[in-house]
Amino acid sequence: MQENNETLLRVEHLCQYFGQNKAVDDVSFEIKKGEVFGLVGESGCGKTTTGRSIIKLYDITSGNVYFKGIRIAAGIGSYKKAIEDAKNEYSEKVKAATDESEKKRLKDELDRIISENKENIKRAEYDRNNCDREYSDELVAKVKKEYEAKLANGSNPELVAEYKNELHKAKHTKLVTQIQMIFQDPIASLDPRMTVREIISEGLVIQGERNKKVIDEKVYEMLELVGLVREHASRYPHEFSGGQRQRIGVARSIIMNPDLIIADEPVSALDVSIQAQVINLLNELRHRFGLTILFIAHDLSVVKYFSDRIGVMYFGKMVELASSDELFRNPLHPYTKSLLSAIPLPDPIYEKQRQRIVYNPLAEHDYTVDKPSLREVCDGHFVQCNDAEFEKYRKIVSRN
Amino acid sequence: MENKLSVRNLTISFSTSNGKVQAVRGISFDLARGETLSIVGESGSGKSVTSKAILGILAGNAIIEGGEIIYDGRDLLKISEEEFHKIRGDKIAMIFQDPMSSLNPIVKIGKQLTEAMILKGKARQKESRETFNSYLKLLCERMIEAEGGKDAARAAEITEKCKNFDQFERRHIELEAKYNTAHEAASEAVEEIDELVFEMSKNAVRDTVFRTKQILRQARQAVSEYVVNDKAARLEELCSKLNAMLGSIKKSGSDYKAAIESLNELSEILKEAVERTSPNFFAMGYCLTFGGKELPKLPVGELNKYMRRELDDRFMLDFIAGAKRALELSAARAYENKAEAVRLLSEKLPIFEEKKLERDKCDAALKELCTAVEASIDKLEIVKDSLAYTFASGLKSELDIYFGAIGKNKVEEKKHDHMQAKYDRIVAAGKTPDWKVPAAQITNLDLVQENIKRQINRLIEHFNESLANRDKRDYDAETVAVIDFLKENASGVVNHVTPRIAKSKAIKLMEEVGISEPRKRYNQYPFEFSGGMRQRIVIAIALAANPDILICDEPTTALDVTIQSQILELINRLKRERHLSVIFITHDLGVVANMADKIAVMYAGKVVEYGTAEDIFYHAAHPYTWALLSSMPDLDTNEKLEAIPGTPPNMIYPPIGDAFAPRNKYAMKIDFERQPPMFKISETHSAATWLLHPDAPKVEPPKIVTDRIARMKAKREG
Repeated sequence: MQENNETLLRVEHLCQYFGQNKAVDDVSFEIKKGEVFGLVGESGCGKTTTGRSIIKLYDITSGNVYFKGIRIAAGIGSYKKAIEDAKNEYSEKVKAATDESEKKRLKDELDRIISENKENIKRAEYDRNNCDREYSDELVAKVKKEYEAKLANGSNPELVAEYKNELHKAKHTKLVTQIQMIFQDPIASLDPRMTVREIISEGLVIQGERNKKVIDEKVYEMLELVGLVREHASRYPHEFSGGQRQRIGVARSIIMNPDLIIADEPVSALDVSIQAQVINLLNELRHRFGLTILFIAHDLSVVKYFSDRIGVMYFGKMVELASSDELFRNPLHPYTKSLLSAIPLPDPIYEKQRQRIVYNPLAEHDYTVDKPSLREVCDGHFVQCNDAEFEKYRKIVSRN
Repeated sequence: MENKLSVRNLTISFSTSNGKVQAVRGISFDLARGETLSIVGESGSGKSVTSKAILGILAGNAIIEGGEIIYDGRDLLKISEEEFHKIRGDKIAMIFQDPMSSLNPIVKIGKQLTEAMILKGKARQKESRETFNSYLKLLCERMIEAEGGKDAARAAEITEKCKNFDQFERRHIELEAKYNTAHEAASEAVEEIDELVFEMSKNAVRDTVFRTKQILRQARQAVSEYVVNDKAARLEELCSKLNAMLGSIKKSGSDYKAAIESLNELSEILKEAVERTSPNFFAMGYCLTFGGKELPKLPVGELNKYMRRELDDRFMLDFIAGAKRALELSAARAYENKAEAVRLLSEKLPIFEEKKLERDKCDAALKELCTAVEASIDKLEIVKDSLAYTFASGLKSELDIYFGAIGKNKVEEKKHDHMQAKYDRIVAAGKTPDWKVPAAQITNLDLVQENIKRQINRLIEHFNESLANRDKRDYDAETVAVIDFLKENASGVVNHVTPRIAKSKAIKLMEEVGISEPRKRYNQYPFEFSGGMRQRIVIAIALAANPDILICDEPTTALDVTIQSQILELINRLKRERHLSVIFITHDLGVVANMADKIAVMYAGKVVEYGTAEDIFYHAAHPYTWALLSSMPDLDTNEKLEAIPGTPPNMIYPPIGDAFAPRNKYAMKIDFERQPPMFKISETHSAATWLLHPDAPKVEPPKIVTDRIARMKAKREG
């Protein structure tokens, strides 16, 4: 599964600003099909915002998100900024220019840049609004083709009804529903006034499934899959323990048959023993259905245990990205080092000697002249660094 | 080590509409001074209930069924709410899980920090005065008695001096505070000078005039008698010289040579002053109050010697000798009474051993016993004998339970019968009701009687032990402790907390817990703080009253790794600096390894394993501890996690046998039938599992645990 090189999700220069607050600032990464990508960092570093931007809970400021090669989210901030920059540059240059032809050349160039970016904006807005429709159109065409062939052999009312149902479903299917989310707090994320059946099947119903029997069957299947029993379907969330509630959250997300699950701190609010149950469940489901998971957490031991690759975020920036073994064996960025030094281990003697490394970005880096960017230090190991640091990291890597 | 808190057989239930939930079922532990006890377990295991019981903040439907929580010679389960006010927050403080919900969102941080200080300040002043006066009065009485009334004039003199103890103590504290301010100013000035001189030599200096003025102000503040006395004249000269220089510095901006020279000299003088030993303010307080003449102008060392001599000759030696004699007398009397009490206790014991207790007899005996035990308490002892102090209330409440139970049982039984009949009716009609009949609550009379007997026997043993150790007592050390006790209370009397003082104290506290720019932060609201900072504020509030015991209820569960380790480091540091005893409640064993000296693993309201951190992590013996250890991944875990199957039992119907048995893959037949007792593994380590019984089969801990221990060991040894 890991050898699969198909990229499921590609995030390009994702920026999410809330006014002046740059919650996510130029983050890029790819998730391959079937892998678990861990996202770690302290609270407020933008992990959750990244997850929510991907699932289109926010309109992103700039950057692109590609899911299965289709652009599902696109920001227009960067294009707007490019136009503004070009205008400013033009007005300055025009002042300096004396020659009439020179002025005209500048004006032409400005017009070209503006029209180019405007085109980009238009396309981004179109993609943002229509990615689902295109996808459902595709599905509808497929369904039509399939059933027309069947119906050509002679129509019976059952088949027609089925065809109608399928068509209805295809029309209402959205691409984004193939990305599902599991939330941190199992109490707050379940509606207390809905039964478990209603909670789990809600996605199906919205998608257009109207056959009650099918829904029930699916709900039971999901319940059994996550280690609950059929009888639980008619109960309310408050009748369950924390671990069971989180299982309901998992069932709700996998009933849509998603390709990507965004798990936002799914075990942080749970007891240790329950944590293990939920992690084991996710692990099992992942191997069974070949799920791809974006795993957001701050507990590094859990992330290490669960993920194939890990991205470390600090104040909205991705500072290091590597396979999980590589990251823990060979952390390069000073923030990653400080993060790793803070992990508590079940070993009292070691714990009493453990020294935490303090990360102070102002003392560690000198970015006044040379701006940093995310660079590949060795195969698959990216670090946020500038030229000087890049050389330093290269040396460290080659030494090991 | 001195035990700060002991919990014995604590049993707590909650009455709910479904029946009685047994949350805590007979747990016992001790907490020593400066030690961290960690209580680990799943949610619902009763860890938070235990901590709330210690603080006396249990929910209204809680029933305390038995046991005792002994703190400072009192049983916290039996004292009145009025008395609890003096302990809660003041002596025992708590840090809660969620910092946001334990702070008031619409009150500024500063106010929340100082509120309790100001409120408590007055109460504490009053309390200290009472303690101080009553103790001193008792001491005087004993001193005069010890003198044998031979020399009445002398006795009166001693009494007079004793009564003046707080007067010169007040002087002592004032002097010390003044000295500390000056001292601080001097050391700050030294730092400032260093910085300024460095910048001047590099010719890159800003705000010269302002900074120099500040240094001069600090230096002048340091010219208090005891910080800079011998070179005060020279310092003043330098200051005025620098002051005169200020104008030229401002103008020329290049020639700093003269200024640097003067500053360096100033720095030398201040540095010397800062490093000098401080005067003995205790002695000085006495000399200035009762010495009757001016202090001689001497260097600090000699001055100290002089004052010490003065204090010793005129007061201290007499006082110490007198106090020692008083202590000896008081102790001797207490010992006589103890011997008498032991005789009486042994004599009355048969009354409580009868098959059926009789109220009249028991009450009479109780009265007699209580008077005897009361008389045997040495009131002058600083470390209170908790067993003797709590004997009367403990025995009385047990007797109340015993005699109250018989009347109560009838009602309970009737209720139970009624429910049972209803249940049977429904079953007979062919339906299955979705509720069960809760078990009838019948007080186990034998158990109560056993408790009564045990209490008496325990006290007899305790008294015999103290009688046997009679000759080993060190009265000199005790006398010193008495003087420290008096000093401490006297400072409580003197220290009056005004809002201004509270503010400066609060800012110091904020600095101590690691909040930068405390002056600015003081005026902010909780929402302006990040999660970690909020938790620091909560810790600062808990520490404001300088408690003995700090209870941390999952203080880092809501925080992420980096902040978590900062908060843990902070709690550890404060514990060391303030000799706090900490009760640390969590479900995360990784956190515990860093914090705990001792660990109690709780399951279904019982302590299933108890030992030092090393015992629990390297030699865990209970299957539940194994399960906890193996259900958390560490950085090297690759295999499947061994989650604990199932959920904790419903504590309305607690299982007959070992509560963990249904989820335990090592469970044997006996686990379902009988509760295992605590088996002792080593001096510090014990666990409640039948696997430790000599007849049980040998079972190895799960592979994931043994592997990890081996790996850790290999890693540690390189």
